[in-house]
Amino acid sequence: MKPLSPPLPKDWQLTPPWTAKHLLIGIALLALLALTGSRLEMPRMITEIGEAIGYSVGLTEKSPVATGLARIGHSIFPIQIAEVTEISRIENFDRNHLPLFARIEIQETKTAHLNTDTLQMETGVEKKAVLVEPLGYLKIVLVKMVETLEIALWATVLSILLSIPLAYYAASNYSPNKLTYFLSRSSISLLRSVPELITALFLVLAFGFGPIAGVLALALHAAGFLGKFYAEDIENADRKPQQSLEAIGAGKLKTLWYGVLPQVMPQYVAYNLYILDRNVRMATVIGLVGAGGIGQELKGRFDMFHFGHVGTILVVIFITVLLLDQFSARTRKKLL
Amino acid sequence: MLKFHSVSKRYDDGTQALSEVHLDIPQGQFCVLLGSSGAGKSTLLYMVNGLVTPTTGQVEIGGKALNRANMKSIRRTVGMVHQQFNLTPRLSVAMNVLSGALPFVSYLRAAAMWYPRVLRERACKLLAEVGLSPEHLTRRVSELSGGQMQRVGIARAFMLEPQVLLADEPVASLDPRVSRDIMVLLRDEAKRRGTTVVCSLHQPELAVEFADRIIALKGGKLIFDGTPEQLVAAGLDSIYQNNESKPAPSHSVPHVTPQMLEALA
Ligand SMILES: Nc1ncnc2c1ncn2[C@@H]1O[C@H](COP(=O)(O)OP(=O)(O)OP(=O)(O)O)[C@@H](O)[C@H]1O
Ligand SMILES: [Mg+2]
Repeated sequence: MKPLSPPLPKDWQLTPPWTAKHLLIGIALLALLALTGSRLEMPRMITEIGEAIGYSVGLTEKSPVATGLARIGHSIFPIQIAEVTEISRIENFDRNHLPLFARIEIQETKTAHLNTDTLQMETGVEKKAVLVEPLGYLKIVLVKMVETLEIALWATVLSILLSIPLAYYAASNYSPNKLTYFLSRSSISLLRSVPELITALFLVLAFGFGPIAGVLALALHAAGFLGKFYAEDIENADRKPQQSLEAIGAGKLKTLWYGVLPQVMPQYVAYNLYILDRNVRMATVIGLVGAGGIGQELKGRFDMFHFGHVGTILVVIFITVLLLDQFSARTRKKLL
Repeated sequence: MLKFHSVSKRYDDGTQALSEVHLDIPQGQFCVLLGSSGAGKSTLLYMVNGLVTPTTGQVEIGGKALNRANMKSIRRTVGMVHQQFNLTPRLSVAMNVLSGALPFVSYLRAAAMWYPRVLRERACKLLAEVGLSPEHLTRRVSELSGGQMQRVGIARAFMLEPQVLLADEPVASLDPRVSRDIMVLLRDEAKRRGTTVVCSLHQPELAVEFADRIIALKGGKLIFDGTPEQLVAAGLDSIYQNNESKPAPSHSVPHVTPQMLEALA
């Protein structure tokens, strides 16, 4: 058989798109992962997850992880929606004017106490009148959730207001001089580098428990984020419209307003929506350190082992975040 | 009206963009700048509104020498039309035109985008003059054609009621028909107001048709200054020829003949 075409010269050769160098880098990365993994007990994590999966399908005898999770699951469900209050603890209780849907129940609790005469344990039954509001706890959680949303909203508004001057001075083509540029760039980095939870921890010391600390903590962090991104968009905006306004002596601020802002508006809207979304999620967390919102309720119930209540809170947070996602996706689509 | 007193420009990187240019442009003259790429046309134009400062020499407008102190007030009297139109794309046509009067409005009005009645009326009048219709007012500039964008650019430039209008290759990105329409518009608007125009072009035939006076630059030096007729008589070879190297083949050089002139008339 004759070859169809003459053999190609030697320099026509295809090699794989990787070399020994890539292989070495890959091996080094794997080694690094193995080292850090053993320090972090990753092998134990893998075996215990394996055990738990085995236990759930009936292959393994026992699994502490699976039983632990099951216990939490059992205590969370059914979630606690009703609010039960002992009537004797309610001030100025009026039997004839109960809250809507509320009813009075008699709860019996078994008690055991020591009879000092006979020195024997005696059991008795204690009766307590309680007020049951069927949707009472859900209502409390929803009110807390609204407070959380309010914290997020205010934090977002404040962060936008704060970041506008920051961005102006941090945009190299608008900042009046090197010093203002350097100062605002460094404050932006500082704001961004401190996590909200830590800021909140300190602000709670300064302002006391409650939403003020939460709003400020979220706003400061987000201002750093927005300042950086606003400034970068100002720097990258098309120069042509700005040049034509400068050429007629419009001045920096008016040039920014007419030559830059319309260009960057779609990105700004997207950033602000992202910050609102993030602030809602973070506002649920910062309550853990006492900075207001639903997190504070969550922490309280968790510490008292009221897992049914914790369940209700988690469900409400989940639904809120879900709705918020929908909202921001729609607004983004409309505004762009 | 507009004077260049032996201006030279040497950019920081050492490029000698202009050397010793003397010019005196009387009020109301429509002056066209010709020259190959890099000849220094834009540099000369930008000197008038201070976007470029001369290394030596002086620019004088209406008897006042341009300097740092009076830069702001002089810029208010110099309008500009750009090759890429330089409009703000996501802003409406009306706002783009009104932004041409920004030096005259307060910060508050500028921020609220609510202009004084005089300026709003001037904007509408100008938009009508350049051939746009009321439904264009609220439309975004990015939705217009190139020709329409340059019409908006011209309307914006006249918002200042400028004494001098600079046009840097105003038709370089438009097709020949639209280019001609835009040149007609530019000339008519300027003549009606007695505005002095300095316009750089890459189309000698448009220069010959529209200019009162043609100025040609080459390597930063003024090599021709005269009427269109004088240019036609002199020919274009010297303007567009490669500098020291061998002469370019004659067929690549745009040539304006008397016949072409007649055809255009
Ligand atoms: N900012 C600048 N820095 C350094 N050199 C520059 C600068 N602007 C222009 N030049 C140089 O100065 C010379 C003249 O440029 P200019 O833009 O004035 O030419 P032009 O005639 O407008 O050209 P074109 O027809 O391409 O617009 C060119 O060599 C250019 O490279
Ligand atoms: Mg140019």
